[in-house]
Amino acid sequence: MIKVAHSDFSYDYFNTEDSPRLIIDLSQAEEEMREIRNIVIDPGHGGLEVGAKGKFGALEKDITLPISLKLKAIIERNLALRVFLTRDKDTNISLDNRVAIANNNKADLFISIHANSSFRKNATGSETFFLSMDATDEEARRLAYLENSSAALEDRIEGENEDEIKMILWDMAQAAYLQQSSQLAEFIQRELNLLLSTHNRGIKQAPFRVLTGVACPAVLVEVAFLSNPVEEKELLTERFQSRVAQAIYRGLLNFIKLYGQE
Amino acid sequence: MISNRLAILGALLILLAVLIIIFIRMGGKGKTEQEPLSLPPEISQSSDEQQEKRKVVLFYLSEKDALLHPEVREIYAYTSVVQEAKQTLEELLKESQSGYLSPIPPQTKLREIFLTRKGVAYVDFSKDFQVGHPSGSTAEILTIYSIVNSLAYNFKSIKKVFILIEGVEKETLGGHVNLNKPFLPQYSLIAR
Repeated sequence: MIKVAHSDFSYDYFNTEDSPRLIIDLSQAEEEMREIRNIVIDPGHGGLEVGAKGKFGALEKDITLPISLKLKAIIERNLALRVFLTRDKDTNISLDNRVAIANNNKADLFISIHANSSFRKNATGSETFFLSMDATDEEARRLAYLENSSAALEDRIEGENEDEIKMILWDMAQAAYLQQSSQLAEFIQRELNLLLSTHNRGIKQAPFRVLTGVACPAVLVEVAFLSNPVEEKELLTERFQSRVAQAIYRGLLNFIKLYGQE
Repeated sequence: MISNRLAILGALLILLAVLIIIFIRMGGKGKTEQEPLSLPPEISQSSDEQQEKRKVVLFYLSEKDALLHPEVREIYAYTSVVQEAKQTLEELLKESQSGYLSPIPPQTKLREIFLTRKGVAYVDFSKDFQVGHPSGSTAEILTIYSIVNSLAYNFKSIKKVFILIEGVEKETLGGHVNLNKPFLPQYSLIAR
């Protein structure tokens, strides 16, 4: 029997019958990817926390919810996946609670939906973000620890009963998923560019609070600019909202095809 | 017995007298030490022409792109980094001199700035910093990094910047970027 002790490699071996040979096939182990079952969609803002405001009075919270509901409907219509929303009505939910909803429902993908705003009126376009982290000082050590125990993260959280350990792990949970998050961002951004005629702003990284603690690939989509009067009007139309939901769905689908199959 | 007691009493009295003298001296000394501190800082000692100046680079926004645009300004040179950093942010709170957009809501005041030994600058703004902010992701990112870059770019000893509002740690400015952690500068946001 052959035993390969190194976890970085996977191997296969077989005999050829016509010529007596033993072939050992060594390969780099693939990043462990769990099957995708649960998707959590996070409609940005809500309740008294209205988010960005447009010139004509559109509120970010009122745009993120219908897009999220449409996205949920499309996923449920086409895929055998469970979809959760962090809110399904106009209520105030803290960012940390949104993270808790995702992790408690064992989210395999997390998508936060927002509408953008800037200081200049002519800013346009959609962009998809994933988390940026500063790998310095004590954080680096935590990060390294997390990256090393990426696969074991979930077991650890379930196994350990101490709240404090949970808190520390969840505080930085996203560190273990940055690469997949960037891939997911890329897929979604590509579809947003194709389907919408909005200016491509590309994928970006930022230290968003709602992404930091999520223990699965996670992105934040900024759909057009409420600070731009032309885009504000578009954002309010059902047609535009449906197209955005459709684009995000296609991006998701491509990601699932690549990573999420058994 | 009596002489013994008297001796103890005497010793106690002498001790008390010594303590009183020390107390008075300390008090006097404290006063003389405080005097130079209560004098106005270097600014008022020398006139504008005599006071040395140094250049700092501030980062503003442009109508054209989502980048940070440098603008050079002069501040008074001090031996204290905190003093210079304070002036730098005061300048950033003013309007741009080359027509750029301000990344900070107009009524915002700088309440205080502290610098830790590890190089984290705690910058405390008035509530207008949050109330008057447009609160989109892009706006939040640009506001935060215009401040962080304006400090870290000009002062070697400032490595990271922590933003406070009314003296308190906030979760976010408008629901996006995490304010519970200090920021490293992001020089990739600077226009070339």
